[in-house]
Amino acid sequence: MKKEYQTFVRQYKDLNEGTQKLFVKDLTPGPRKYDTKYVKAKLCRNLKKMKNGDILRIRSESGILLPEPWGIKILEELTESVPGQPWEDVFKAMAR
Amino acid sequence: MPFKDHRDFIKTLKKTGDVVEVSKTVDWDLEAGAIGRRMYEMGGPSIWFKKIKDYPEGFTIYNGSLGTWRRVAISLGLPPETPVREIYRLYEERLEKPIDPIILEKKKAPCKENILLGDQVDLYRFPAPMIHEGDGGRYIGTWDLVVTKDPGTGWTNWGMYRFMVHNKRWLAGWPQPTSQLAYQMKKYYLPRNEPMPVALVIGADPIAHMVATAPLRLEEDEAKFAGALQGRPIELVKCETCDLLVPARSEIVIEGEILTDQIVPDGPFGEYPGYRSGTMAEGVGFRVKAITFRSNPILTMIALGVPIDDSSIAASLTAGVAMKRGLKHRGIPVVDVFVPPEGVTHLIYISVKKGGAQITREVLEYITARRVMVSKVIVLDEDVDIFDSGQVLHAFATKCHPGRGILVEHYEGRANSLTPCYSPKERERLKGASVAFDATWPPEWPPEIVPIKASFKTIYSKKIQDKIIQTWKSYGFK
Repeated sequence: MKKEYQTFVRQYKDLNEGTQKLFVKDLTPGPRKYDTKYVKAKLCRNLKKMKNGDILRIRSESGILLPEPWGIKILEELTESVPGQPWEDVFKAMAR
Repeated sequence: MPFKDHRDFIKTLKKTGDVVEVSKTVDWDLEAGAIGRRMYEMGGPSIWFKKIKDYPEGFTIYNGSLGTWRRVAISLGLPPETPVREIYRLYEERLEKPIDPIILEKKKAPCKENILLGDQVDLYRFPAPMIHEGDGGRYIGTWDLVVTKDPGTGWTNWGMYRFMVHNKRWLAGWPQPTSQLAYQMKKYYLPRNEPMPVALVIGADPIAHMVATAPLRLEEDEAKFAGALQGRPIELVKCETCDLLVPARSEIVIEGEILTDQIVPDGPFGEYPGYRSGTMAEGVGFRVKAITFRSNPILTMIALGVPIDDSSIAASLTAGVAMKRGLKHRGIPVVDVFVPPEGVTHLIYISVKKGGAQITREVLEYITARRVMVSKVIVLDEDVDIFDSGQVLHAFATKCHPGRGILVEHYEGRANSLTPCYSPKERERLKGASVAFDATWPPEWPPEIVPIKASFKTIYSKKIQDKIIQTWKSYGFK
């Protein structure tokens, strides 16, 4: 039984195949559904081509679901958070 | 009659028929949210979901505390049918007399009935709802109250900010960069690289939550104004892990700290303007250190979306009165301010004793001076009842000059990024614009040329009006 995960990207084109670091939500039913993990994972656009891969559902910044899920193989669970400063994306954008 | 807590409020709503208890098992994953959303759109009662899938008996969800003007009136101790204008007037009057809170001993505070500390912390013990399909996570903080403090001045801020469960001991949120929480963070904690203590309060009394939506001036403590509205001091209690004070009768209090050097993803979320519009961000990371809660905790929720719901109603009242205070303070001859809930604080109506381009310009300068939540304002003469959107629309359609009656102000770094019509580029730079529509007669026009409104009350003499009213039935009318 394949596990299902979900991730969010601003636009679908922002996500690349290969080994990536990303936040994913575990869609396993139950009280811990949507638990978030920061992982190193191998991603493949074509789920069928990824042997023993799990399912990665992808949503846009507006929450719109990409019709075809990708394949994902989690290689390593990383930290709970990532380095950064609150609102730094806004401050960076304003500085540009 | 003030309500000492959310449970007390529910008891009254049961008597007035403004709450429905659902005994059927409901799924926290979309079902509760969808039911709540539909009920708002039907103008129905608040809902108390008593059995939640995956969770033990006693862990419940409540949607729609102040989702109608009826429930706002009840929360203020007024008759349910109190007109909106009267609710505004009483709210404004009561705010004039702030009352200091009192501090309870821990043993007398119901929110301390259960305490989870350190490794015991597990946010999944609570049925945080997945409210909309496609949201970024389970938003445990919607109808909430977030407490933070500026240690430099001692000012404690309450705000209503969204927070979602990231994992068992972290929350992710995105208080806007122009919010008062962000102001405190930037002023004190970021320069020192110190974590900011924070408490997320769920299920306090309804007035406390309503006040948390109020755009009070910097360094004004919301707790005093919650007391003012209730007519008695709010009872607070000290947190377990920091010196923040929280409403003692709250259902759930999540204590922790917002880190200055770590972030977690937040959003997107179907927000108060009625859209889920790209509000996904590198959110603030809230590391939880303790959770205290009442036995059989009630998790309060807003299935946010298109108006009218708790958010658009509470903000109508609190933002409207705050703007009136601000405009008066600035010397603008304001008569009334109304924030129609359907305008989700993006649109406001302001009536003035004397209008014209200069006054309209001053109004626009006021609403765009700091953080800008309003993008459209209609300035009206005082003969327009601004609590009647039909009258406002008539005045706007007929009195606002399409060439010289529209004033626009552009800005960057302080726009409301939740404004759906802004592009992604504008949102990320907090770039936006506000427009003021001058729907007043130019004050320089001599009185004899000002058009006369052709209504019964304005185009006939009092003599004719009295005659018609007194003999109305003689014409065969009922």
